[in-house]
Amino acid sequence: MEQAIEVNNLVKSYGKIEAVKGISFNVQTGEIFGLIGPNGAGKTTSLRIISTLLQVTSGSVKVFGCDVSKKAPEIRKMISYLPEEAGAYKNLSGKAYLEFIAGFYSDNTMIKKGMEIAQLGERIKDKVSTYSKGMTRKLLVARALMMSPKLAILDEPTSGLDVVNSKGIREIIKDFVKSGTTILLSSHNMLEIEFLCDRIALINNGMIVETGTPQELKAKHNVNNIEEVFLKAIV
Amino acid sequence: MKHFYNIVKKEVAELVTKQLIISLVFMVLFFVSMGKITKSVEEGSKEIRISILNLDVNPYLQNILSIANKQGIQIDFVESKDVKSAIKEAREQKSNILLVLPDGFSTKVGKMEKVEIEIYSIMNGLSMQEAISSKVIESIIETLNNSITTSFIQKEMPDKKPEDILNPIHTKNFVILKEKTIPGDAGVLSALVMSQSMMIPLVIMMVIMYTGMLVMTSMGTEKENKTLETLLTLPVKREYIIAGKMVGSAVVGFLMTVIYMVGFKYYMSPFTSSPEMSTSLKDLGLFITPFGYVLLGISLFLAIIAALSMCIILGVFAQDTKSAMTMTYPIMLVVFIPFFLSMFKDIETLPLSLRILVYAIPFTHPMIASKSLIFHDYRMVLFGIAYMIVFVVIAMWIAVRLFNTDKVLTAKFSVKWKK
Repeated sequence: MEQAIEVNNLVKSYGKIEAVKGISFNVQTGEIFGLIGPNGAGKTTSLRIISTLLQVTSGSVKVFGCDVSKKAPEIRKMISYLPEEAGAYKNLSGKAYLEFIAGFYSDNTMIKKGMEIAQLGERIKDKVSTYSKGMTRKLLVARALMMSPKLAILDEPTSGLDVVNSKGIREIIKDFVKSGTTILLSSHNMLEIEFLCDRIALINNGMIVETGTPQELKAKHNVNNIEEVFLKAIV
Repeated sequence: MKHFYNIVKKEVAELVTKQLIISLVFMVLFFVSMGKITKSVEEGSKEIRISILNLDVNPYLQNILSIANKQGIQIDFVESKDVKSAIKEAREQKSNILLVLPDGFSTKVGKMEKVEIEIYSIMNGLSMQEAISSKVIESIIETLNNSITTSFIQKEMPDKKPEDILNPIHTKNFVILKEKTIPGDAGVLSALVMSQSMMIPLVIMMVIMYTGMLVMTSMGTEKENKTLETLLTLPVKREYIIAGKMVGSAVVGFLMTVIYMVGFKYYMSPFTSSPEMSTSLKDLGLFITPFGYVLLGISLFLAIIAALSMCIILGVFAQDTKSAMTMTYPIMLVVFIPFFLSMFKDIETLPLSLRILVYAIPFTHPMIASKSLIFHDYRMVLFGIAYMIVFVVIAMWIAVRLFNTDKVLTAKFSVKWKK
């Protein structure tokens, strides 16, 4: 099976601070891969490098065989990144925002698809500045998934959403994998990770400390859920 | 191009906010109302009423009446025979001025003896309008003095021209400017050139200020609203993102400048020069040719691009809208320096070191271009264009480099204070 992501000895430094200290992991095509860890562990930095936003200090990262340092424009055509604290253009309506994003792709049907995922009803025509945090997040998740990317990188996709909406988004993510999208996911919600992920990597202090399926990790640490794995492996 | 247009459209939609429209409408209303007030003061000065207390059988009264009539001033006579009651009566007649012609006025004037008339200015405040009314009466008295003297000369020396006796010396002025000898007064000529070339630096300053501020706001907002990360992961060239931001800001900036200048022109209309002034400049060969206008357009365009690219570079270091606005101050400063210098000084007369410094500012060149083009001096304008091309290429290269690295997300401008 083709590797969606290949990370080899990745190091990222901000001046004297080394945020990522030589991590390696692979993500298979069509799987949901979870990257979990405490705050400041290096998750977001890793996701930003894979998304072509940050440059590699050393090591290599390949997305569908393309090196992020050499073929960033090609990678951007295949991926979609949802940052944890993302926002949308406040002076645009939800629909205009989706149209703006769709303007960079050749498929015009994605706007309809985006509106379906966002589930904002008539409010999609209102300005983003009038949206609640949850509504904005739903719009952003819709934006990230509507173009059916080969790889979706989702940093805390259900952040700010209530239980019902979170469940809805998780179902959508599951469905997207069936249609061929690979998902790289980061979340502090261990239930979400356990429900969604085929495999998990635990990152702490810029290093990968565990990798495996939820079942393998639970068995290894002899615990009942991923939250306990997290506590045992990291704390 | 589709991607570029998409970004421009988004930039314009994001920049044209309700607040911006309201502030523009407010600004135009301010200028229009200020213009109306100024006009009403001007028109008010024409609505002058004079009351006359005539204590003499006065053959010169007819003279005063005809002069006042020519100036559109209304004359009323008071019936009172003393000044105190006359002032009261003049107030009732809503006059601005009371003229008291003393007994024996005509006799003394007839003998060409010095005569004193009392003028009472009735002021209802300390406004500009009140000052103008006293100027009107001064001009009436001056005309009256001339008329009395002229008629005396005509009577006593019929073979002489009164104007030759009153002003025996006549002058013919020439100005030698750069290798050219131009007939005219230096003060008038410099005022004429100033009136022609003042508007262009003002427009340039406004365009650069607005567009620069907008592009910085755009960068600051992207960072504050956390939209930049998403934008940078979209399949669009970073060059298009930069160009889209610049063009979007330039479009809105131009629109704002046009609205501002329309309002400003309306406000300035009572003070601007008469049409014959520009005609005389044309007669003197001091005008911008169509080729000159093309050069001026290129110069202005390059200055705007230079300002926008400088702002984009600075915008990379902004954390939010507030810090982006703070970072516009250095740009404003380098815009103000050539603006004020071009208004009050000929840059070529500055010491060499200062001249180099001023010429290094790209915005100097379109500001001084208008003056050079009036004198058909293309050398400095072409040099300015060449310099700005080099400046823009370097600035754009830096901007593209910054956008193609992670500096666009991680760069911060901070001042560390030593404890």
